[in-house]
Amino acid sequence: MSLEHLFIKRPVPFHLAEIDLAAATDDELKALSGEMGLSLSLEEMRRVRDHFKGLGRRPTDVELESIAQAWSEHCCYKSSKVILREHIFGIDNGRVLSRGDAGVMEFDDEYGYALRIESHNHPSAIEPYGGAATGIGGIVRDVLCMGAQPVALVDPLFFGPLDLKGKVPAGSKAPKYLVSGVVSGIRDYGNRIGVPTVCGGLFFDESYLGNCLVNVGCVGIVRKRDLRRNAVGGVGDRLILCGGRTGRDGIHGVTFASAELSARSEDESRGAVQLGDPITKEPLIHACLEVNSLGLVSGMKDLGGGGLSCVVGEMALAGGCGAEVDLHRVPLKESGLAPWEVWVSESQERMMLAVPEGNVERVLETFAMWDVDATVIGRVVPGNHVTLEWLGVRVLDLDLDFLTKGPEYCRPCKMEVRSRQTEEVTPKLPDLRTVTLGLLADPNIASKEWVFRMYDHEVRGGTVIKPASGRMNRGGPSDATVIRPLPDRERGLALAVGVNPWFCGADAYRGGMASIDEACRNIVAVGGRPDSFTDCLNFGNPERPERLGELRQAVAGMGDLARYLGLPVPSGNVSLYNETASGAVLPTPTVLGVGIVEDVRRCVTTDLKREGNALYLVGETRREFGGSALYRRFGGRGGEVPAVSPERLRRSMDEMLSAMGEGLIASCHDVSDGGLAIAVAEMCLGGDLGAAVEVGAEWEAFSESNTRWVVEVEPSREGKFVSAMTVPITRLGTVGGRSLRLIAGKGRASLSLRDMRKAWSGTLPRLMG
Amino acid sequence: MKAVRVCVLRIEGTNCEDEAAQAFASVGASPEKVHLKQLLGQCPSDRRRELDSYDVLMLPGGFSAGDYVRAGAIFAARLKSGLRKELVAFVEAGRPVIGVCNGFQVLVELGLLPAMDGTMAEAPEAALYTNDSGRFECRPTLLRQERRGKGPFTAGIPHGSVVMCPSAHAEGKLMFPRGTRRRTLERLLENDQIVFRYVNPDGEYAGYPWCPNGSIYNIAGICNPAGNVLGMMPHPERVLRRETHPDWTRTPGREEGDGLPLFRSIVESVR
Repeated sequence: MSLEHLFIKRPVPFHLAEIDLAAATDDELKALSGEMGLSLSLEEMRRVRDHFKGLGRRPTDVELESIAQAWSEHCCYKSSKVILREHIFGIDNGRVLSRGDAGVMEFDDEYGYALRIESHNHPSAIEPYGGAATGIGGIVRDVLCMGAQPVALVDPLFFGPLDLKGKVPAGSKAPKYLVSGVVSGIRDYGNRIGVPTVCGGLFFDESYLGNCLVNVGCVGIVRKRDLRRNAVGGVGDRLILCGGRTGRDGIHGVTFASAELSARSEDESRGAVQLGDPITKEPLIHACLEVNSLGLVSGMKDLGGGGLSCVVGEMALAGGCGAEVDLHRVPLKESGLAPWEVWVSESQERMMLAVPEGNVERVLETFAMWDVDATVIGRVVPGNHVTLEWLGVRVLDLDLDFLTKGPEYCRPCKMEVRSRQTEEVTPKLPDLRTVTLGLLADPNIASKEWVFRMYDHEVRGGTVIKPASGRMNRGGPSDATVIRPLPDRERGLALAVGVNPWFCGADAYRGGMASIDEACRNIVAVGGRPDSFTDCLNFGNPERPERLGELRQAVAGMGDLARYLGLPVPSGNVSLYNETASGAVLPTPTVLGVGIVEDVRRCVTTDLKREGNALYLVGETRREFGGSALYRRFGGRGGEVPAVSPERLRRSMDEMLSAMGEGLIASCHDVSDGGLAIAVAEMCLGGDLGAAVEVGAEWEAFSESNTRWVVEVEPSREGKFVSAMTVPITRLGTVGGRSLRLIAGKGRASLSLRDMRKAWSGTLPRLMG
Repeated sequence: MKAVRVCVLRIEGTNCEDEAAQAFASVGASPEKVHLKQLLGQCPSDRRRELDSYDVLMLPGGFSAGDYVRAGAIFAARLKSGLRKELVAFVEAGRPVIGVCNGFQVLVELGLLPAMDGTMAEAPEAALYTNDSGRFECRPTLLRQERRGKGPFTAGIPHGSVVMCPSAHAEGKLMFPRGTRRRTLERLLENDQIVFRYVNPDGEYAGYPWCPNGSIYNIAGICNPAGNVLGMMPHPERVLRRETHPDWTRTPGREEGDGLPLFRSIVESVR
């Protein structure tokens, strides 16, 4: 279909066209959306057409592109907002300081901490190194624009199996290539900007083959008086664009992220992937924080999805004003860009500052000191319009209400619980030793040391609990990592990821609850009190009712539990359309939980401490195997997905924390993937110490029931511990020897530390080569 | 007591300056984070600083200018072209200079280390090359203090004692030019220039992972013959407190971080 006749070129010495929407048929509207890469539906195109009909003029290409950015799923959450509002948005405990690009919570009297997690899935599937690196860049800016110093990075990653038999689907890349590219991208960017990458996760499942998930989280620290809104201060403020130059990289990133990936994505969308430059970012961070702490700035916002087109409108609207921008002043990487390209480009390392006129000079001086570009490109005006000029020609004039009040859908949902539709088939298990070693070596459980040793997790000198706990270079896994963000105080932040995509795939509501439960367990395990969450909701195409049903159920599960615990979710991100021709990814609601540690000197780690100490299980083991590592590895099917009792979780957390406060607990590890046997084995590895442990039935060793921990208690403190706990506890055995002696029902196994370490530590190096 | 002024020098990509400054502050010195442009006069006059007004110069870790050429090469070139005379004077006055990680790489590129034939060599005499593993390595490392003589860095770290300082680098393998390798090592030993060597928990000069990079003779840090310029790959500024040791929850009794004595020694030497 030729659409030429709808484009009316304006007689100006640069590229500018008007689009004759009024003359277009429905088919042509649809074709236009595709041709221009707008990712707008027919209904949305009609709405745009009618708006301009009402104005009595045709939209320019700049305007149409601008609307497409603002109305993309990525920017306006049109499919998910209704659901989020119902379950997540309203939770408050009076400690939320801001819900901006990053959420900000109270840290202590003087400081707040900022948190956010988001996805960079589609770019990473096309170009893993650059996609992951710019994901880090983007999340760091979200924290920075609150006025916060970034202090930690977190990156849960999801790929197809590394030991894949058979071929990858057309258009997607081999998991090993993707893992290597993504990890190097995070390494080279995160290490260079000097923010420690302290925790994350590495998950493998066939559903991620065509569409890997790269979730990136960042936590920052901000003095309350330096906390900024992502808004202009008022009429007269100047808009200063600083950081990187603008180019053709990253055009249509958000509209690309709001559609399914296909075999053609590589060719069509490589230009949508931005290019990162950490050595522009590093001084940009310094300069922004410096001018902010001097009180020279009224508001800041980062340029991410949609580029200038989103940042200008959103900042102006949030400040109750309009804005005028001289677009041709934007510093470019190359000449010859059309105005619409400059306006929507997602080139990296850019921040927008709203600065009162009198402070402009001092702001520019500081940026010059750091050799970072900073340019006044516009000013704040009364009203609610954004206008753009290019060499004196008005190329855009949009009403902010129309632009930013994107569509919102209450799409049909189909609520299914897959675990209820499948008959449970218990797997035929080999002997206890083979099962335990097999689980330890499973890529989803095995040590992630191959990855985290490449990330600088100690820069800034405040990492108190690191990704590995225990003896040097022989550690086991940590539950949460803990940082001391301010060197002069003992208060710390515990960070932990919670997500179990297999639980969610089988029962999204329980899976959503389990995400929160897991994050809480991990935080409590180090001695932190859970304080807030940020979530990255990775799901398939929301236009398919069963996918949206998964989203709704998972979010309901998360929201119900978070609300019961009184823990807010002050920021988050939704990533939909994680789907290819071969299907959607498992529903993956990734939670980054943040806890407050009153005194980091009292933190507890997972490694066993001393021969002769007792081991206890805190919590209750039920026969819940839906989505479990045991069933996945040994061929079970169906089964009940582990449920959460909110009341039990709250009471368990309180009692665990008070026992830790009294120094009753020598080590502690949460029970998750692989169950009790794996939790104890990992504690043995960290301490380089064995243990003798007995449970009543074999299944109890591998159930993944929620709200459980294994704790180590000195004999002299057992009495006090036992009487302090009202939630169920079970004595499992004692610490000692050079092996794990496991008795589970009729099964018996003796696993030497050496064999366990080989299984657990050997997997990733072997698969990654 | 005299205020000890420490210049913590940075450019874009330097990223360990906060904890480096914190290290000096926590032993009673007055550190200042100074951008190279402030020493070169490329700044408004109220920000201008003189190298000569400081007692100690610290080059912290990071990825100066991105390390896209050779690690430390660009920072070193800028220092050499704009500040050569001042640097030489600073070193010859016997004032302490310490470079950690990227800072060590800069000192080697500058010719301030190992500097066996004068204060500053014309061309680099050594290199910090890509780790044997081919990867960035972030892990705890144990260092034995090997220097017999006195100097500003080791007064608080007895000869033969072992300290834990974490390493985090991709290019930390100390190498000398082919053909002069043995002779250079001998001269380093003769000159008492080897300050730290990697060991394992039993105190042995072990291989990977205890020596994270494959460095010649397990060398982790060296000084100039005069003993007032130190470069080391591991990060003492990351272990100011016992709680940043990797095994602190299982090793009671340690009062402070292993990195602190080094900074205390430096500050006391100039006080």
